[in-house]
Amino acid sequence: MGEYVARRLLALIPTLFFASLIVFLAIRLIPGDVIDLMLAQNDVASSLDREAIESALGLDRPIFEQYFRWIGSALQGDLGRSLWQNTPVTEQLLDRLPITFELGLLALIVSISIAIPIGIYSAVKQDTAGDYVARSFSLVMLAVPSFWLGTLVMVFPSVWWRWSPELEFTPFFEDPLRNLGHMLPPAILLGLALSAITMRMTRTMMLEVLRQDYIRTARAKGLPESLVVVRHALRNSLIPVVTLIGLQAPLLIGGAVILEQIFAVPGMGQLLLEAVSQRDYPVVSGVFLIIGIGVLLINLAVDLSYGFLDPRVRQQ
Amino acid sequence: MTAIATSEAPVAVRPAKARGPAAELVVRLFRDKPLGALGGVVFLIFLVCGLLAPILAPHGINETDLHHRLEAPSLAFPLGTDHLGRDVFSRILIGAQVSMIVAMAAASLATVISLLIGLLAGYFGGRFDMITQRFVDAWMTFPDLVLLIVVISVVGPGIPQIIGVLALLYGIAGSRIVRSAVISVRGNMHVTAARAMGAGPVHILWRHILPGVMPVAIVLWTTRIGAVILAEAGLSFLGLGVPPPAPTWGGMLSGAGRTYMYLGPWLALAPGLCLAVVVYGVNVLGDALRDLLDARMRGAR
Amino acid sequence: MINMVPVRAIALLCLAVLASLVFGACSRSAGSAVPAPAPNEAPQYGGELNVGSIYVTLSALSWDPADWTWKSNHDAGSVRELLFAADLGTARRNGGPNAFTADVFIPEDALRGELAESWEWEDPLTLVVHLRHGVMFPDKPGVMKSREFVADDVLFTFDYIQKSPKRIKSYLDFIERIEARDDHTVVFHFSKFNTEWPYRIGYGYYTSILPREMAKVEQSDWRTVTGTGPFSLDRYVSGNVQSFARNPDYWDSETLAGKDHQLPFVDRVTYRIIKDEATYLTALRTGKLDILEAIRWINVDQLKKSTPELRWNRWLAPQGMFIALRTDQKPFDDVRIRRALNIAVNKQEIVSLYYGGHAEMMAFPQHPDFGPYFQTLENMPASVRELFVYDPDKARRLLAEAGLPEGFEITVQVCSCTSDHMDLLPLITRYWEQIGVRVKIQPMEYASFLSAMTTKTHAAGYMLNTGVVSPTSTLRKNFQTDQLWNPAMVSDPDLDARLDRMFETRDEAERVTLARDLTLEMLDAAPYVWLPTPYGHTAWWPWVKNYGGELRAGAVRPGPIYARVWIDQEMKRELGFR
Repeated sequence: MGEYVARRLLALIPTLFFASLIVFLAIRLIPGDVIDLMLAQNDVASSLDREAIESALGLDRPIFEQYFRWIGSALQGDLGRSLWQNTPVTEQLLDRLPITFELGLLALIVSISIAIPIGIYSAVKQDTAGDYVARSFSLVMLAVPSFWLGTLVMVFPSVWWRWSPELEFTPFFEDPLRNLGHMLPPAILLGLALSAITMRMTRTMMLEVLRQDYIRTARAKGLPESLVVVRHALRNSLIPVVTLIGLQAPLLIGGAVILEQIFAVPGMGQLLLEAVSQRDYPVVSGVFLIIGIGVLLINLAVDLSYGFLDPRVRQQ
Repeated sequence: MTAIATSEAPVAVRPAKARGPAAELVVRLFRDKPLGALGGVVFLIFLVCGLLAPILAPHGINETDLHHRLEAPSLAFPLGTDHLGRDVFSRILIGAQVSMIVAMAAASLATVISLLIGLLAGYFGGRFDMITQRFVDAWMTFPDLVLLIVVISVVGPGIPQIIGVLALLYGIAGSRIVRSAVISVRGNMHVTAARAMGAGPVHILWRHILPGVMPVAIVLWTTRIGAVILAEAGLSFLGLGVPPPAPTWGGMLSGAGRTYMYLGPWLALAPGLCLAVVVYGVNVLGDALRDLLDARMRGAR
Repeated sequence: MINMVPVRAIALLCLAVLASLVFGACSRSAGSAVPAPAPNEAPQYGGELNVGSIYVTLSALSWDPADWTWKSNHDAGSVRELLFAADLGTARRNGGPNAFTADVFIPEDALRGELAESWEWEDPLTLVVHLRHGVMFPDKPGVMKSREFVADDVLFTFDYIQKSPKRIKSYLDFIERIEARDDHTVVFHFSKFNTEWPYRIGYGYYTSILPREMAKVEQSDWRTVTGTGPFSLDRYVSGNVQSFARNPDYWDSETLAGKDHQLPFVDRVTYRIIKDEATYLTALRTGKLDILEAIRWINVDQLKKSTPELRWNRWLAPQGMFIALRTDQKPFDDVRIRRALNIAVNKQEIVSLYYGGHAEMMAFPQHPDFGPYFQTLENMPASVRELFVYDPDKARRLLAEAGLPEGFEITVQVCSCTSDHMDLLPLITRYWEQIGVRVKIQPMEYASFLSAMTTKTHAAGYMLNTGVVSPTSTLRKNFQTDQLWNPAMVSDPDLDARLDRMFETRDEAERVTLARDLTLEMLDAAPYVWLPTPYGHTAWWPWVKNYGGELRAGAVRPGPIYARVWIDQEMKRELGFR
């Protein structure tokens, strides 16, 4: 097992290297470089010294040298400094990552609380009206764009009842109620959209389980249906949950850009959007690197947990 | 001998019904999965409207007329006018064309990419597979929108670019699913037999593996359509979608639809409903197809 | 068989309750009579001011003045001070003539000394500035202990920003050297006169005064930001909020209701950063913002209906909106083509129908706020006035005269970030189609868009907003050779020389004449398709007192304005907000 983990961790390295190199190069391909943008910020004047800025920002070196410098310091935990604010990129990431993570986590919890019961119900009452309604509901949530629902939730209560969700971020441990008032509305919307996938997975899982021989045996033995369902449902519903976490790992680390914008959540998605639009290369590279590491680690954990949860996998 | 003879009742040989597998599927769809069939029908209706849009639309997409701004639906303008006085109904129809073209082109291209990568990686395995998987891993690490933002910033907004980018995104992500299907089909008896008979890899891929993987590809295709439509809407919201004045439902919804929510709710209602209905329909169709084909796949084993 | 009647009755009852709740909620907003502001009410201390500033969608760009970003004054504004600032006593709400909504320019008679108490010219090239006594820098852990502000701090500031690799060389190039004659006297030695000196030295973007202890700290860290101003920065969540706490030892005071009161009044000023328009409008409606400084005209009617208690101020945007035509490319080197493109646009319709009247036909290059520099359209020569009257036949004739009777194709680049432009351009496209000009709209993302201009690789048509800054800068910025923000590629050595001369002219009357002549010439030459300038709106809740919608008291600097605002907390509670 330990060997397996070590092997998987080692396999992460080329993936990360590859991905970070691509990102590093890609953002520099975007038309409009950061110096142009800095020059354009200033109203009066045509005489900013382009070379001076370039060398001050380290952008005059050949591109591969810049990349290796960056990787070198990244390995030591230094992701460079933002080209605009001159603040360390690591600091900015550490500010934003917990916020995005919290949003993602809340969304997952919401989605699981909705999807698992409905998924189980759907499987048990397969192909009845109830099944159709349940599946339709989650598909409808999937079909309506998140920015639209978000706008409705933000705007109409403010017009009708003069109420809106909290718009200022407070860390959870400072003031949990205020924090949740800010993060729950977007988390619920996100969770509803995610629930479609989880619900489908749960339903498929449960259908398979219910078909199996040992269930028939249990029924034949005369065990009450509810006991059969509950005992096996609980055990097997962990698998779709864990799979969902794996699938939504990018969301947990990378953020839901659109909902962040509507609900004024200062998360990783917004940081990335701003950084790309301002051509803040170190920040973009840093964000992608952290997303990459985070997601790959989560996926590793998910894969490992399958070993514990699904006896079929264990046998392999 | 007689025991065996009598246990097998003589079977009259009937000629096979002149229905191909596709027609068979459609019949089963309507019979067993009515909701999915409905989704398919809805999708077809929108597709046809989109194709005939230039004929059906009473006005053009950019016939601005400031004297008729934000008018509620009327006989002259069945779905009202927008903030520049343009007929919303015409824009929705032509928007159907644009959205459908983008969605179908991107979904088809994505499916082709998924098939290519999935088939090659799943069949040949080995180092090629490993490298491809590393690459796909790296690609799938990042949230969809995040990747889209960076790539669209590089290539710029425009219909071909958006189709290309969305196709690439969903194509690579879908290759995983195709690959799993290929791996499971690869072990089939008739594949082993063909290989034993000395058939080359291209022949095997084309005649044996691809048909086995088709059900998966079809389902992928239908779900991709919905995903592309939604992704384009998200890109429009962030300002990176199809450039004006070309109308797309997502663009209309996220732009004028949001800004003029009070002064003209019909600006959002029309594209929003169309979008939701098509995405819902296509997803329900995909679900139904998956249920039907999955069972058959399993039965065929 | 279930008796249907009670069920139906209950259903109807529920519906009625629901309906009344909804209608009740709707009507609650109307009818709460709010008293008009009493002049010279006695102010109260305390409370918190939540501001959705003009830059409500932008996070802080940089805390370090050495970065020479245009937004430093705004980001750190309530903490740091400059030598000069606007005299808010002359604001319209106090009966004066000034709206203080211009983005930079302050007329000299509306100026007061902030950290400077007075100043005079010792000789034509030597400016002596007397600094205020007793102004204190507060304690800032990790940076400095509280001490008095002295001349050395001014010297340090100028030296510090001039040493930066990002500095704009031509900004302070007219200053030869600065010396401190004593602790409260700074002398500026000019190498040549520059008419914009009060702006550049006194209330401009880059010269907020820093304590000399800044040399030893990490300037880019928000925790080291400190200054002599009315507030201190104590909370910053990137992309979400910047919050400033009251400085109890602030030096300035204001006379209200006959008494002198120490400033500031509120305990806290918070900038909220909200990227989405629908969301920040919501924040205003629900009282999460006390002031929202920039509201588009489309939202005004609806806001007035949903929130009738709000107070309003309307201001003409200090910017020009136009489509620049590359005069260095055919066929736009021909003035007839450029004039034709102007005349083919129905600007009247745009003002009355598109903007619903919330726009002015012409407010650029000179803005009505610029006093004598501004001339109304009616007072301009016929050839200029012609450009603002819709006449597609005349336009077609001009095109034919210029040898292009069949029209031509033009690519117009526009930033997808400016929704107004994205709306207007299809409209203009329609107008131009009538005279045979076919437009290819090329939306570009923000950075690529700006970059195209600064690298001079932009298309023949380029749709842009430009801030007017000051009556002299606006001409130079747009029309001098090699200027970054000269997208029409205007290049005329004679014009350049006249612009330089205008900057060096000391006599106001002479300068005004020069500027006016240049303005008329440029309007006539039509390097741009001149478009109407829209009005912006500012709205605030009535409990925000001693405020009339002023926006800036220096280059993008609202600090002194917020220092003078006080909150009527009782009224706020009465209106149902905490």
